[in-house]
Amino acid sequence: MTQESPAVEVDHVSRWYGNIVAVNDISFALNGGITGLLGPNGAGKSTLLHMLAGFLRPSAGGVRVLGEPAWQNPAMYRRIGLVQERESVYPFLSGYEFVLDSARLHHIAEPEKAALKAIHMVELESAMSRATGGYSKGMKQRIKIAAALVHEPQVLLLDEPFNGADPRQRLQLMDMLRAMAKEGRTVVFSSHILEEVERLADDVLVIVAGRLAASGDFHEIRKLMTDRPHSFFLRASDNRRLAASLVADASVYGVELAGDDLRVSTSEFASFTQAVAGVARRAGVSIYEIRPTDESLESVFSYLVKR
Amino acid sequence: MIDPTILRLTVRQLLGQRRSIVMVLFALLPVLLAVLYALENDSSDAQEWTAKVALGGLVIGLVLPFTALVFGTAALGQEFEDGTAVYLLAKPIPRATIVFSKLVVAWAATTAVVVVSAALTGAIGLSGEPGEGIIAGFVAAAVVGSLVYCAAFLWLSIATSRALIVGLLYVFIWQGVVVSLFSGVRYFSISQYALGIAKAFITAPDEIFDPRLNVAPAVLFAVLVTVGATWLSVRALQRWEIGEAT
Repeated sequence: MTQESPAVEVDHVSRWYGNIVAVNDISFALNGGITGLLGPNGAGKSTLLHMLAGFLRPSAGGVRVLGEPAWQNPAMYRRIGLVQERESVYPFLSGYEFVLDSARLHHIAEPEKAALKAIHMVELESAMSRATGGYSKGMKQRIKIAAALVHEPQVLLLDEPFNGADPRQRLQLMDMLRAMAKEGRTVVFSSHILEEVERLADDVLVIVAGRLAASGDFHEIRKLMTDRPHSFFLRASDNRRLAASLVADASVYGVELAGDDLRVSTSEFASFTQAVAGVARRAGVSIYEIRPTDESLESVFSYLVKR
Repeated sequence: MIDPTILRLTVRQLLGQRRSIVMVLFALLPVLLAVLYALENDSSDAQEWTAKVALGGLVIGLVLPFTALVFGTAALGQEFEDGTAVYLLAKPIPRATIVFSKLVVAWAATTAVVVVSAALTGAIGLSGEPGEGIIAGFVAAAVVGSLVYCAAFLWLSIATSRALIVGLLYVFIWQGVVVSLFSGVRYFSISQYALGIAKAFITAPDEIFDPRLNVAPAVLFAVLVTVGATWLSVRALQRWEIGEAT
């Protein structure tokens, strides 16, 4: 890798399967640190990760990892590690053998030492002598991570790495990935869970329907997500009076009476949720129910795409 | 060109399969028939029965292709099925090394099963009659045939997710029906290559054993198919793409 080359470079990459476009003209460059690929299921995150890992050929554009083309370049695996989502282990191998064979296939000088170190990193020493076929989903995930980092890769790619892990394991894996990033390595992981990305990633790439909807510092994007227009359904003792009071509030830009419901639109999520109770009290109205109209992650993503 | 870790992994993978045990039992079928034949018949046509029916028909015609189909397609195909292929492919190993290592194990496993079947069937079937190179010929046919079949089926397992079905169609329909009906297509039958090679060792007259291919074309086509299928396997593995379901 030359001094100027980013660790991961994706240049106008598209990938389609027949008429279906899985990834659509995505470009970005990453260096050291943790990047989260965030998006709903089926958004194209795995397709993108597999292209980064050299397991899918881009239909258009190019992918370079550590300055080298990712496609048809097995030598690249000396410096990258991949953890795929699928629970794929050799069930007849013990956890130690699974990681040891990974070290041997990487032709590491002291494979036994490297395997033990990697198993220690994922805290699986107590189960390393057992056959992986009997592992839980979370244990399989951790032993796969150990096998993927046994050669201490410069770039680590992980597809939904926290699936199946319990909360304690999740925290431990997050700490481990943070430590790797601190050493200057590039960690890219995919997730459809906002909180996972929020807790771990320095940068985020939001993928929706195969397109890059947003990218950059996670906190900036989180702010965009929070400050987007929201709407709520309310049911109160007097909807009409509450509507008249709410429309005077600065955080509200629209009210609509619809049958038994009152629909309120706001551009300031935090201000509105803090103000609504006080407005109702001053108007002498009791609120029976308040609920957001659509808070699904998909709606957040679709807002980011439309921006 | 051969990686010891891949060899070991593949051996353990193949040995742990239930279908491997089934193949060993299947390979004992001609041996059992030879025992029955030896008990029931006099030895006047032992050479002909052993060469044509037991070894040519059952061992080379059935046991060899089915054993090679099971081991040849499982050696790498099973890893594509269960997703462990990525574990292997995400390593800085030339794809040719992976193919050669897998082929060696599939070949060794198939050879071990078929050679034992051929040797036992031959020894029992001949019942002390002069061998005239029959056992040696069919052992050689088993060794070479195993290699050619495994190379072809290994390629099938990379090229298609339905390798077993395609392999069965080849063995049953192509070799079992088409080749027996149309002599001209014998050049495209791996079993015919094996039988042709067996003839090089057999001194018995043509009435006892007379394969459809002579030794020279049998060897030539065996080499061509093995090299061609191995080259195609390496090429297919270099271009292998992960499926969305993988």
